[in-house]
Amino acid sequence: MIGDFWRRLPRDARDTLFQLGVIAWTILPHLGHLQIWCGVMATVILLWRARLAATSAPLPPRWNVALVLALAMGLTLWSERTLLGREAGVTLLVVLMALKTLELRARRDALVVFFLGFFLVLTNFLYSQTLLVALSMLISVWGLLTALVLAHMPVGRPPLARAGALAARAALLGLPLMVLLFALFPRIAPLWGVPQDASGRTGLSGSLTLGGVASIANDDSVALRVRFLGRVPDPEQMYFRGPVLGHFDGREWTRGVSGFAPSQRLRSDVQVFGAPVEYEITLEPSRLALLPLLEMTPDRADAAPEIEGYQASLRNDAQWQLDRPASERLRTHVKAWTSYRHGPRNDQLALRDLVELPPGFNPRSLQWALSLRNRPENLQAEPRRLADLLLAHVRAQDYSYTLEPGSYGRNAIDEFWFDRRLGFCEHFAAAFVVMMRAMDVPARIVTGYQGSDPVPVDGYYVVRQSHAHAWAEYWQPGQGWLRADPTAAVAPERVRISRNLQPASGFVANALSSVNPQFALQMRQTWEAMNNRWNQWVLNYARGDQVALLKKLGFESPDWTDLSYVLIGLLCSGSLAAAAWALWDRHRQDPWQRLQRRVATALQTLGVTVAAHDPPRTRADRVRQCLGARGGDLAARLDALDRARYARGSGRLPLRRWWRDFARAAAAAAAH
Amino acid sequence: MTPAAPAPRRRSLSQRVQRWWLQRLPLTDSWTLTQSNIYILPTKAGIVFAVTLLLMLLASINYQLNLGYALTFLLAGSGLVSMHLTHGTLRGLTLHLRPTPSVFAGDAALLEVVLTNPGAERHGVALYFEDRERHGTSWVWTDVPAQGQASARLAIVPATRGRHAVPTVIAESLFPFGLFRAWTLWRPAAQVLAWPRPESPPPPLPAGSPRPDDHQPQTLRREGAELDGVRAWRRGDSLRQVLWKKVARSGELVSRDTAGVGTQELHLDWQSARVAGTEQRLARLAAWVLAADHAGQVYRLQLPGQNLPAGQGDSQRRAALDALALWDAP
Repeated sequence: MIGDFWRRLPRDARDTLFQLGVIAWTILPHLGHLQIWCGVMATVILLWRARLAATSAPLPPRWNVALVLALAMGLTLWSERTLLGREAGVTLLVVLMALKTLELRARRDALVVFFLGFFLVLTNFLYSQTLLVALSMLISVWGLLTALVLAHMPVGRPPLARAGALAARAALLGLPLMVLLFALFPRIAPLWGVPQDASGRTGLSGSLTLGGVASIANDDSVALRVRFLGRVPDPEQMYFRGPVLGHFDGREWTRGVSGFAPSQRLRSDVQVFGAPVEYEITLEPSRLALLPLLEMTPDRADAAPEIEGYQASLRNDAQWQLDRPASERLRTHVKAWTSYRHGPRNDQLALRDLVELPPGFNPRSLQWALSLRNRPENLQAEPRRLADLLLAHVRAQDYSYTLEPGSYGRNAIDEFWFDRRLGFCEHFAAAFVVMMRAMDVPARIVTGYQGSDPVPVDGYYVVRQSHAHAWAEYWQPGQGWLRADPTAAVAPERVRISRNLQPASGFVANALSSVNPQFALQMRQTWEAMNNRWNQWVLNYARGDQVALLKKLGFESPDWTDLSYVLIGLLCSGSLAAAAWALWDRHRQDPWQRLQRRVATALQTLGVTVAAHDPPRTRADRVRQCLGARGGDLAARLDALDRARYARGSGRLPLRRWWRDFARAAAAAAAH
Repeated sequence: MTPAAPAPRRRSLSQRVQRWWLQRLPLTDSWTLTQSNIYILPTKAGIVFAVTLLLMLLASINYQLNLGYALTFLLAGSGLVSMHLTHGTLRGLTLHLRPTPSVFAGDAALLEVVLTNPGAERHGVALYFEDRERHGTSWVWTDVPAQGQASARLAIVPATRGRHAVPTVIAESLFPFGLFRAWTLWRPAAQVLAWPRPESPPPPLPAGSPRPDDHQPQTLRREGAELDGVRAWRRGDSLRQVLWKKVARSGELVSRDTAGVGTQELHLDWQSARVAGTEQRLARLAAWVLAADHAGQVYRLQLPGQNLPAGQGDSQRRAALDALALWDAP
């Protein structure tokens, strides 16, 4: 029935409805993050326009449209507080696009809709660049191009499929140019400051309040991917070091600011032993200026990360940081050592910062730690021994690891250590550090990621936001900082096989995995593999890859000017090739015509004049007339040519060979 | 036949360049489009498209959107390819002008242009006259099937009698995306012959005289044109002789048998057309020719310096009108 309706529509109405469908499809992904009024308004306008098209009703007068536009601007101003900026811009663009469809009067209006449409497609990428979004926007672009082709097929009622095929053909022909430009167009830094949006990106925040990590644990999105070149470290060695938190105000852990002079501050002092683990790491855009690398990645020329467009440096607390927030996917190739030492070997004044505890918080814990320390056998114990005691305590008592420990009050450590005994990594790490400090041992919390999905996808180990972890470090004289992971003491499987607690997934996923868990798992892995390829090849293609490409092409130390030269050179040679082809095409002649002309010229030199349009048999007759017996051979050849060309059922005659033989015979006849 | 409006004394430079350009084009009725006679330039929409792409590139750079780059370059590639496709829509086509019809001055002459396509299907080829101010804005759009032909009709309205050159024709295409416009200028060699517009209302015919020769082959003829009989249609009967009402009723083609009028012969003479002015005389003569032809009479035409022997039927009418159209004071 719908097909029938579609077929009976006038062509204009059909084209308009198709165009509206494409526009709706393009706007659809925006509905999730637009103001509700904007989505409703766009939907209503598009439906209204569709109705007008289906009933061939006249369009509303201009002032109506202007009124709605003014209303939309007012609403934007009201809900976004501005008309500039990304959100307001996208809102306005969506409304403008919908309104412009009410003005599709002339071809010019239609073209405006197309160009707005292309821009709208682009704005979708501001929010997401996943494979799914890319595919759906590819459909949009195809639809827009198809509508554009339809607008330039004025005759009759061309089928949509035909226009679609023509549009696809143009796009496919343009594909090589697109690949070339994509690969070689220099990736330059933003030309002006992009307003930072407070989009709720999860990740390591650089601060920690008890309960904060729980929200990350529920986030199953990918944080980073690692590919090991050679040896793969054990899961319990996969600690990706993030912000190190040394300052505790009783509620929140932060990095803190050292009050010491720069020369007196703690230094990272990394020393490594043994064979390195070589790996390539791809970080999703975190909007944070940090680089969670494997412990321990030293600041050495052969190991340190190098990222085009960013400055990576090793902080004093042995954490890698960037000079600006990572707004794009980053990939780097680094080396880490699983056996290392870092931090000061001898006691330093600056270490005193790391035994400080806020007064008035967690009195019971302090008391308990002090009494532990003051036991006779522990009075002279070194920090390592004290740490072992704490871990043993955690292991022996009925502490349990859970992602939902409930909320803790003011004296959170007290509550956790003595009463509730429920918590996850950050509770354990925080309690451990507080206890160590209470025993006068410098200690600090390290946040980061621990472990990965157990099975590598396509050679890449996937680390998710749910692998976010917090562990502790304490200072051992003569050794430097040592890692202690109290979570491993209570829930060893969290660290050993890095089983992150799965959050409740959606209904469909649930049903699927309960029916056929193997299949669900496989589906998920295939999807992730595709996504990973997508990320690696397309989204992550950056300056570094361009430089690597040029190096492969033989440039010594390529920079962006070389890139431009290569690009311009290729474009110029492409244009020259096209021009050469055009020249050749211009002089190209039908082979038969050319042969006819050559034969006429050859006969002319023998004194036989034939017309350009004479068929070979007429020419053969002329040859017999004029040359008599001398031209018998030539005439026979011309007859053969005539038969080959015109007689039914005759085989193909290779014209080139025929001409060679004929020319020889003509030369022989001339010599007579 | 002086032009109605005096020509502007000085043409603008661009007009003069265009005129010079047109003058160097050959006059031909068959125009094959190749690299050398197709011109191509971006349209306004093409320029806007380029600006849009530039904006999209800026957005991609500023927000570091690799997919934005991909989209921009995909569109740029498609746009560039569309230049080739637009050119290809015209390249290889042959435009051929069918023999032109003759019409009365002031009537539209339909010129049929046949487009022959040796290659793949072509879409959206537009034909129109270069001088749109004088020849109207009639556009003809046509598709040309692969390895096939299509025809398009263009109308010109000759204002005065005589031969009129077919004005320069533009064939153009915006297909597929409208970003580029490819066009060619074609000066057909053919001319349209415009007969003088017959006087209206038609004046009464001058009196006839008996045919001078005794050669009267019509044995079946009766006296008086008003006694027309009816007979089956024969080849050579003009459309005016067909009794359409009877045809509609009976479904058979029947003609008016006007044999009886052949005994009279009309002299359509320059002198007998007593009106002032050359053109008015010619108009009257043309009206007489039509009336005589309509009545199926035998007539001769006498113009100063020109004489058309007696005759009747389509060919006579045509010869008489042609003579009137081309007559020039000796």
